[in-house]
Amino acid sequence: MAIHRTCDGMRRRDFLKVGAIGGMGFTLATYLRMAKAGQVKPARAKSAIFIHLAGGPSHLDTFDMKPQAPDEYRGKFRPIDTNVPGIQISEHLPKLAKCVDKYVILRGVTHTLAAHQLGSQYVNTGTRPIASLEYPGYGAVVTKETWQPSDLPPFVAIPSNNYQTPGFLGVKYAPLNTGATPRAGQPFSVRGISLGNGLTVAEVERRHQLLRDLDVAFRGFESEDQLLEGLDEFSRQAYAIITSPRSRDAFDISKESPAFAKMFGETPFGVSCLLATRLIESGVRFVTLSYGGWDTHQDNFTRLKDRVLPPFDEGLAALFEGLHQKGLLESTVVFVTGEFGRTPKINNRSAEGGRDHYPRCMFMLLAGGGIRGGQVLGESDDKATAPRHEGFKPDDVAASFYHALGIDHTKEYHTDTGRPITIVRDGRVIRELFA
Amino acid sequence: MIRWQLGLMLLAGTCWCLGAVARADNPNNVLPSVAERFASEDVSEVPSFQRHVVPLFGRLGCNGRACHGSFQGRGGFRLSLFGYDFQADYEALLDPSSTRVDREHPLESLILVKPTNADEHEGGLRYEKGSWQYHVFRRWIEAGAKFDPAKDVQKLVALEVTPSEIIFHKKGDKFSLRAVAVWEDGTREDVTPLCRFQSNDSQIAEIDENGQVTGGDPGDTHLVVFYDKAVVPVPIMRAVSESLARNYPNVPTPTKIDELVVAKLRKLGVVPSELCSDAEFLRRVSLDLTGTLPLAEEVEQFLADPSPDKRARKIDELLESPGYAAWWTTKLCDFTGNNETELVNVLPVRGAASQAWYDWIFQRVKDNVPYDELVAGIVTATSRAGNESYYEFCKELSDILRPGSNRSFAERPSMPFYWARRNFRQPPERAISFAYAFLGVRIECAQCHKHPFDQWSKHDFEEFAKFFGGVRLANQGAPGSRSDYAKIVEALGIKDGRVNNQNRNQILDALRDGKVIPFAEVYVTNRPVNANRRQRDAAPPARTATLLGGEVVDLNAIEDPRQALMNWLRSPDNPYFARAFVNRVWAHYFGVGIVEPPDDHSLANPPSNAALLDYLTQGFIRSGFDMKWVHREILNSRTYQLSWQPNETNQHDKRNFARAYLRRLPAEVAIDAIRMATASDSEAARMKRELDGRAIAMASPDPRQRNGASSYALTVFGRSTRESNCDCDRSMTPSLLQTIYLQNDSEVLALLDRRQSGWIDQITRQFQPNARTANGGRRRADEGADSSTTASGSQPSDVQVEELVRKAYLRTVSRLPTNDELKRAKEHLDACGSPIEGLADLLWALINTKEFIVNH
Repeated sequence: MAIHRTCDGMRRRDFLKVGAIGGMGFTLATYLRMAKAGQVKPARAKSAIFIHLAGGPSHLDTFDMKPQAPDEYRGKFRPIDTNVPGIQISEHLPKLAKCVDKYVILRGVTHTLAAHQLGSQYVNTGTRPIASLEYPGYGAVVTKETWQPSDLPPFVAIPSNNYQTPGFLGVKYAPLNTGATPRAGQPFSVRGISLGNGLTVAEVERRHQLLRDLDVAFRGFESEDQLLEGLDEFSRQAYAIITSPRSRDAFDISKESPAFAKMFGETPFGVSCLLATRLIESGVRFVTLSYGGWDTHQDNFTRLKDRVLPPFDEGLAALFEGLHQKGLLESTVVFVTGEFGRTPKINNRSAEGGRDHYPRCMFMLLAGGGIRGGQVLGESDDKATAPRHEGFKPDDVAASFYHALGIDHTKEYHTDTGRPITIVRDGRVIRELFA
Repeated sequence: MIRWQLGLMLLAGTCWCLGAVARADNPNNVLPSVAERFASEDVSEVPSFQRHVVPLFGRLGCNGRACHGSFQGRGGFRLSLFGYDFQADYEALLDPSSTRVDREHPLESLILVKPTNADEHEGGLRYEKGSWQYHVFRRWIEAGAKFDPAKDVQKLVALEVTPSEIIFHKKGDKFSLRAVAVWEDGTREDVTPLCRFQSNDSQIAEIDENGQVTGGDPGDTHLVVFYDKAVVPVPIMRAVSESLARNYPNVPTPTKIDELVVAKLRKLGVVPSELCSDAEFLRRVSLDLTGTLPLAEEVEQFLADPSPDKRARKIDELLESPGYAAWWTTKLCDFTGNNETELVNVLPVRGAASQAWYDWIFQRVKDNVPYDELVAGIVTATSRAGNESYYEFCKELSDILRPGSNRSFAERPSMPFYWARRNFRQPPERAISFAYAFLGVRIECAQCHKHPFDQWSKHDFEEFAKFFGGVRLANQGAPGSRSDYAKIVEALGIKDGRVNNQNRNQILDALRDGKVIPFAEVYVTNRPVNANRRQRDAAPPARTATLLGGEVVDLNAIEDPRQALMNWLRSPDNPYFARAFVNRVWAHYFGVGIVEPPDDHSLANPPSNAALLDYLTQGFIRSGFDMKWVHREILNSRTYQLSWQPNETNQHDKRNFARAYLRRLPAEVAIDAIRMATASDSEAARMKRELDGRAIAMASPDPRQRNGASSYALTVFGRSTRESNCDCDRSMTPSLLQTIYLQNDSEVLALLDRRQSGWIDQITRQFQPNARTANGGRRRADEGADSSTTASGSQPSDVQVEELVRKAYLRTVSRLPTNDELKRAKEHLDACGSPIEGLADLLWALINTKEFIVNH
């Protein structure tokens, strides 16, 4: 029994500390009692999808509407009811309104970094960025902390995400970038993974046989040297990935049933969501997408309504529904966020006005992996200018995200220079997500 | 007993150690330790806050990161992390809202009550009531808990640790360290119970909190003793082979480096590997020194050359090659942080600033300008040269940057973009970046607290950072030149009087049309910030800054504070400047520095071979900072030319240079090597001769820049990101993605298959000159150079096949195949539909061997 694993209700450090002091009320017996009573739940998720809404989406026009606010705040959109009584979201998110039961809306998330780069680093790592050290993104940490099948890349970015970097953990935890966005109904291949330049599996096997026979300069010394050992291991894995039908199949969205694929639509974002679903189903541990266009300093409403929201609504709703249909939503955490919200008060930069960067109040979405959908957690004030109460920090959401994956966010890593770094230094798990 | 202030002086040259030489000449009268003096309850002595109370907090772990040293404090009580912020600690203890120190009722002070009672204290029991620790705190409080920062902080001039070196013989051997503090006023005190101790490698030796050492496995490392500001490393070693240490074989030591390396190996009973083969040497030195594979014919010539000095001549030849200048410029761009992303908008032409940075350094590396001069051109740089007016400066720069210009930024006397990076504009960021780039010192810890592994306090950091406030970047000309800026802008017909993103294209058009365009400029203003008008005539306030571990500089007395920094850097007794450079060069050639990591020179991280590092440092200074001297000195040593093949004594050696360490090729070198290995003979020769399209000639890791080399591959292979003041911005670790790239990326497969400039294509045309023509290929008549006169459509003969296999080996792994390899490769070529198809397989296999991607 894996008692030492991170479990709901306590962090590993708490457990150890309590163990060291002893007799202070939290013992193994207590733990077992709590576990039996269902207060401690093992992590359900083993995979994750992180979607970065690059540019910073307007919270007031999407998931945190204020229909009672004055005109210069409220904006042009109207709220609509959703499939969960009492929760309303924007009229331009009709499909997401029909599946609110599958995800949680966090309102009143707050931080102070109003530049794209810094804000993006913050929400992609869960730790406020500093100049001297690059923190690892979620994908790198999850890759490091979870077991992966050998013939699949563990971490995939569609097509890439500049902020999901491995940071000080090192390049080996970097995502495999697909480089391109798949197109609906088309076969899709990824850089280096699919056989290219007209090669057949037989030819690759022939080449590998030759390679094995000729790669002998260091023979007998491989186990003495980590570099040689690593290169041999990577060579083995690369060969498995390249020649295995599994990884090629994983990327080939044209193999999805047309009925299933149809609900994702034909936009690049929707098809990327379809690929993400397929990759998770195949055994990939972490998929990240980046969807831009949210930096609406000008013409906020037209741009959202005509360009940004429809693909987002269709693709993300299909992602939730698709994971659910395949029975993957329970084992997959989905985390959706921009780097900040946007100014509640509408500016005069264009005829219809725009909204500017606003980290003090924003929304985030979480779903799957034991997170109880159909809730709104947190609250902003009357004009969505600040959290009404304490608010959530990106750190808290990150801690909760890791928690759902069974990763102890207080675990310490060491940088190359030996500096100890906590995965999420200042976060606390939001218990209500799992209630 | 050996006085450790001497050792410290060599290591750091810090002033508080230098002082010791004059004063600490009285080895007698050492005060017994506090553990003895405060053992009894009736002690009357009053302990000192600096010497006893604060170190005791450190020793007990109270000011550690997880306890009260945390920035949030613990239980409402915060101490400065790792101590040495006496004022803050004193205030925290005497905080009137608490009774941590209760002068009225000393015994009720929380610092006596909590740590002695495990139940009340989250941190558990730290010491017993009635122990000497208890009496130290108690007596300090009873005597009024006094501390006056003006009077009571004394300089520790030396910390003498005995023994000064430990050599042990078997696992479990025990030793104890003793530390004596020597203070400015001449007092000497045994401070062993107040020190913190650490082992740099607990596999070799463990040390407990009382300084008790237990020997472990063979090898060598350092024990480190911390007290007050002092950090003293003590070498400890156990020979790998005792019999060899006593009876060491005769190992050749043709150079001074070899003598110094072998002197250490002898003590360890480690025998160096044999000399590497000529082929290994040529490949290793070409990749290391010039970032470039040797050409196939170059390998053949070198192997055939019977002269005994051919290795030295090859080194000289390579030092004159363009590859040397390009690759070491790339390295210097890594260290100085040339990053286009951080230079955006510094020049209106995208990519121009990082290119100018590269070109400026390249010219100087090529001309072998002394390192200190090169650095001076960066450290004291301003955008304008000498008495140039703003207009003249803009005209010069316009002429240089104009498309099609045959002029280069390298002509300018200085390179100011180092100061223009947007992530290094605040003095603390600049201080950190400067210490990293030119000193190889990481002072960032001291920005917030006492450096845990070095002498630097927060105060030292703040005093040092003051040098960096006067450098500014003005987007519209320095103050006093704004009207000149306005005139230039007006002459271009720009409406709102300034350059911005909207009119960028207009500016670029004007530049192309031969007009003078305006530029941002780096300038120095050494006036106090915010000095108001009325005070202008009054004497300027006293302003000083302090060099790291050095003298105080009056900022009012100099024009440009950076000049004082530069004078300090190039002075012969600067403890870091020359050392950092030679150590980085060494680290490049061995994959591990004499100080490792190479950018972390600190007292707690001493060199693995101090004599070796001193020799190189002094030699570099004496040579007049001649960079080529350092390269020659290292590359000509037998130590550099050792084989990678280990023997029984050195197979676990990773820090004493007893063999060549295997290293993956750096990103740029790997990408160029793949391209060269697959290129036709003439294209490979061109790549070696010219730098066009070479990855080692790319200015900056900006993904938007396209320079022929694949930015995807460079990223995957870990080119330096040049972002965070760390040599580790470059990754040398292998990864799955790298292997996938090499095995199956369409870019690599396309390089194998490429027409015109590919080797396989060259061979195809040699044997089947009509093959491509028949397929509609684009063979040109003037390409005869690559093809021989073999009859049309023939298949290569057996002899020719063997020759092709040899050539494939020479162009990839830079050696001839063994008979077994030749046989296996030939079998493959014979078994394929055509030998040429098989040859493509062979070339693919060879660039996928470990031997190809690993410098060995």
